[in-house]
Amino acid sequence: MFIPVVFCGGQYNHLIVRALRELGVESRLVPMTTIKLEGLEAMEVDGLVMGGGPYSVRDGLEQFGDLARIIMEANFPILGICLTHQLIGKLLGGEVVKGSKPEFGKITVYVIDEDDILRGLSPSFEAWASHNDEVVRTSKESFEVLAYSDFCSVEALKDRRRPIYGVQFHIEVADTPRGKEVLSNFIEVCRR
Amino acid sequence: MRVSAEFDAASFVEKAVEELRRRIGDRRAIIAVSGGVDSTTCAALTYRAIGRNLVCVFIDTGFMRKGEPEEVYRRLTAPPLNLPLKLIRAKDRFFKALKGLSDAEQKRMAFRKTFYEVLSEEARKEGCTVLVQGTIAPDWIETLGGIKTQHNILEQLGVDTAKEYGFDLVEPLVDLYKDQVRAVARYLGVPVEVSERQPFPGPGLSVRAVGEITEEKVEIAREASWIVEERLKEFKPSQYFAAVFEDERVDSDRHLKREIARMLKLSEDELQLYCFKARATGVKGDARAYGKIVGLECWRRLEGGVDVDLFDMAVKRLVHWDPEVTRVLCAVTERCHGKYAVAIRAVMTRDFMTAKVARLPWEVLMEVGKKILERCPAVSQVFYDVTSKPPATVEFE
Repeated sequence: MFIPVVFCGGQYNHLIVRALRELGVESRLVPMTTIKLEGLEAMEVDGLVMGGGPYSVRDGLEQFGDLARIIMEANFPILGICLTHQLIGKLLGGEVVKGSKPEFGKITVYVIDEDDILRGLSPSFEAWASHNDEVVRTSKESFEVLAYSDFCSVEALKDRRRPIYGVQFHIEVADTPRGKEVLSNFIEVCRR
Repeated sequence: MRVSAEFDAASFVEKAVEELRRRIGDRRAIIAVSGGVDSTTCAALTYRAIGRNLVCVFIDTGFMRKGEPEEVYRRLTAPPLNLPLKLIRAKDRFFKALKGLSDAEQKRMAFRKTFYEVLSEEARKEGCTVLVQGTIAPDWIETLGGIKTQHNILEQLGVDTAKEYGFDLVEPLVDLYKDQVRAVARYLGVPVEVSERQPFPGPGLSVRAVGEITEEKVEIAREASWIVEERLKEFKPSQYFAAVFEDERVDSDRHLKREIARMLKLSEDELQLYCFKARATGVKGDARAYGKIVGLECWRRLEGGVDVDLFDMAVKRLVHWDPEVTRVLCAVTERCHGKYAVAIRAVMTRDFMTAKVARLPWEVLMEVGKKILERCPAVSQVFYDVTSKPPATVEFE
């Protein structure tokens, strides 16, 4: 099983690779700027995780290379974390805004719908977050909100039609004790 | 959930030794060791691969902890390591290079430049054409992410080491995290004082003398860090030390003060809240933040363990109030005169990518604070840093 991680410049991206390997999955970083949908298909990936990074979706989609097309057209499951969660939210009709109460450090995530990736995590769990921007609903969005926190209304989302997921918090850091379960759930989705 | 695949130190060492022999061949290699777990493990690993073709140097930058150069020299040259080590005194050179600088990044850049100048001079003297470094994953991740320029990051920033310094760069630990390096260290028989030692930044005390570098501040950082290490080691925090900065304050919002007081279960007159003029490095949303330090003084006797969750809420509120806030300190002990403030920092973490504040007893912190005031006459007040990472980093700069 091979699930590469898109390196988006975030400091935790490498931890995602580490966590995937610890879960028995082959993984490595692929750079955001050069990766193409065709390249991923040629690698015969089973799924894709995209990391966070020091950019803002509000500055436009050009900076994300081919990621937008990958998210919209891929035939494999995708999980976006933090920045790329926001990118998915934007592409699926939500809006990305600068949060009035950005989250840094420990937060509590409240599960609305376990769906696939939050299986076993109801009703709430502790997580670490680090973000200025956040996704908000617009009434035109084509995603379901799976979880929220005290300061952020969309902590996790899922595309209504395809296995495309986003989490605002960091499942890959040691201070999110149940982060591995989320990743494990995503691996299960990729296995189908 | 599947059983996790544990990191296997034995097979890592086997592969790394083979790779080192292939990359270095018959050439002579140099490594700068600090006595910390990364560089010592890297030296032991490389020594295993190429033996006496490895030259180990310890550069005394003048920003080392109390007694450190001598202690490291003794430990690394003794069995079981027996490393061929050369001690280089370069205190004056480093101090001259950093003197007068106050911006955290400029200080780090000046340190790095001097470090490689000294090292490449030594490499030429010894006829070494390969540089081995104990760079680990968080070093390059933080540097590439623009959070801090770690002193040992070259290639990842596009520096051509062969052209610039005259050597090839080899970094056998570059994909590992701290806990994995410790596993390798234990496997290689690195003494426990080294393998379990808390991390110490390359630029040393220069990043704990926050703001402008002066000899006085470096000396206070050295003395206070020593006191903190001696008293707190029994609590086994992942990293613990003291930082020093000018005690110059600006008053803050009254409304905010009321709110924070309520959060901390204090009445309004039991709390003082202000900002320092000094700035500290933080990390927010994967980007570097270089911003304000907030000081809190609770005028009620603090007892028991530090209520980390309560302070966590206060930190959140303060960051929401002013996005420039990167660090929040809570006063431990004070006196009415003195030019400097000292912050005690103690965190718990697996891999230093995120970190929690250590839940230490206030009584112990007060004891440490009192001792720092006793030994450092220029210090007016001692604080405990109550900020997790993020929004702060572990070190102040």
